[in-house]
Amino acid sequence: MGAVQNTCMETRIHHLLLAFGTGGLLSLMVLFNGTLAAYGTLLFASWVPHATGSVAALVFLAVLRPAKASVVRPPMWAYLGGVSGAVTVMLTSATMNTALALSGTIAIGLAGQMVFSLLADARGLFGLPQKMPNARDWAALAMIGAGSLVLIFWGGA
Amino acid sequence: MLGFAALAFLAGVLVSLSRQINGRLALSTSALHSSWWNHVVGFAALSIVALIWGGLWTPEVRDVPGWAYLGGTVGVVFIAASSWLIARIGAAQTALLIIAGQMVSGVALDLWLGAPGNPVARIVGVTLILGGMLLSQRPRRPRL
Repeated sequence: MGAVQNTCMETRIHHLLLAFGTGGLLSLMVLFNGTLAAYGTLLFASWVPHATGSVAALVFLAVLRPAKASVVRPPMWAYLGGVSGAVTVMLTSATMNTALALSGTIAIGLAGQMVFSLLADARGLFGLPQKMPNARDWAALAMIGAGSLVLIFWGGA
Repeated sequence: MLGFAALAFLAGVLVSLSRQINGRLALSTSALHSSWWNHVVGFAALSIVALIWGGLWTPEVRDVPGWAYLGGTVGVVFIAASSWLIARIGAAQTALLIIAGQMVSGVALDLWLGAPGNPVARIVGVTLILGGMLLSQRPRRPRL
């Protein structure tokens, strides 16, 4: 347990690689779910992966049998993350075909994600550890943000 | 226009919010349990939307290629990994590094699929992102 505490909130190389790889999974999801959206509605393209994901997660749980971290019941709101995800789909569909276009929607969405994440870290929202960004974090944010904007607005044809 | 920009911003906020809520659930259960709840609850919410407003089925969905149905399985791993990470490196680091991975792999996927793009922008963008990732990796200091 001591080792876990010691490395807590420090970004180590395995965290970095896992998060980077997780972002890669997101690209695959965009490809798969985007293909669903090309044939069906945006609602269909979100409903289907939630259905298949529920079944897949059950299979993973049955095979891997992960131990529960605590016998204490988490607060009820902790089960509602999926609602927030479902609302996101509807908001995205509402903005995608407007003057913002896809690139603008993506860029503003990423900005919203970063701003709220920084706020949550600074305040320690939702029972997660508190963490203030340092100068190095801000510099990394500026570089990754700038690189993302370059790709979003000029990376296309 | 400004209203739509606000909605797009809110969508990003909700992505982060749902990651934090799932991260909190993972602290009490496990990352995989959290991912399962996220999918089941999201499925229920979207089913209610479909029942009220419709718009779920169109005739064209019969032609969806089979591989496109793999997104949900990938999503389970995605939600589990991000729920695990957020409690360990914080919401901002998690979001930033996932964005970095998404952007760089997006370019790789585009190159592989032969999607047209601006090579200069791709090189500049990927270089900036990888540089930022190197920066975010703190030098390991000896601990007492």
